[in-house]
Amino acid sequence: MDESTPPPPPAELSPPPVPSTVPSGSPTDFLKGVVGKRVVVRLTSGVDYRGVLSCLDGYMNIALEQTEEHVNGVVTNRYGDAFIRGNNVLYISAAEAI
Amino acid sequence: MDTSSAIQEPFDLIRLSLSERVFVKLRGDRELSGILHAYDGHMNLILSDVEETILIVDQADGAGEGQPTVNMAKRKMDMLFVRGDGVILVSPPSR
Repeated sequence: MDESTPPPPPAELSPPPVPSTVPSGSPTDFLKGVVGKRVVVRLTSGVDYRGVLSCLDGYMNIALEQTEEHVNGVVTNRYGDAFIRGNNVLYISAAEAI
Repeated sequence: MDTSSAIQEPFDLIRLSLSERVFVKLRGDRELSGILHAYDGHMNLILSDVEETILIVDQADGAGEGQPTVNMAKRKMDMLFVRGDGVILVSPPSR
């Protein structure tokens, strides 16, 4: 029923502009930007820790505040503070805008 | 009290927990609760008055199917050296 709408413009060959919400920079820049923010830390075991990232070091040892431990999507533990040894970390995901 | 301002690196969290009871999560479904006496950069730990909790999960045959039965074994130790590479998480007492 939208016959009156004009056809879309021809596809451009140039790449689409990067949305401004996508962070750019190095992994280190990402980690610096995410300190003090809510994050999800996934360990190689599959366990997730959700909390506020206090700080981290070169080994990727992590200090988290207001931490919730999630196993299979279920909260299994809560910690006021938690130190996570870096070798167990699979990824750190920003859980809020950075 | 605001401890977050005193923490510049993750090990500060451990340093502030010296002489306090800490919770330690270890590889192999083991957990410890004990008084932290010493640590180093490997996260080797010296704990006293330790209770170890071992979770023994008997997976009913067929992964995912059926409820796995979880048994808990506990034991106590007066003094314990924990090798750092087994440590997953250390949590200080909540203030």
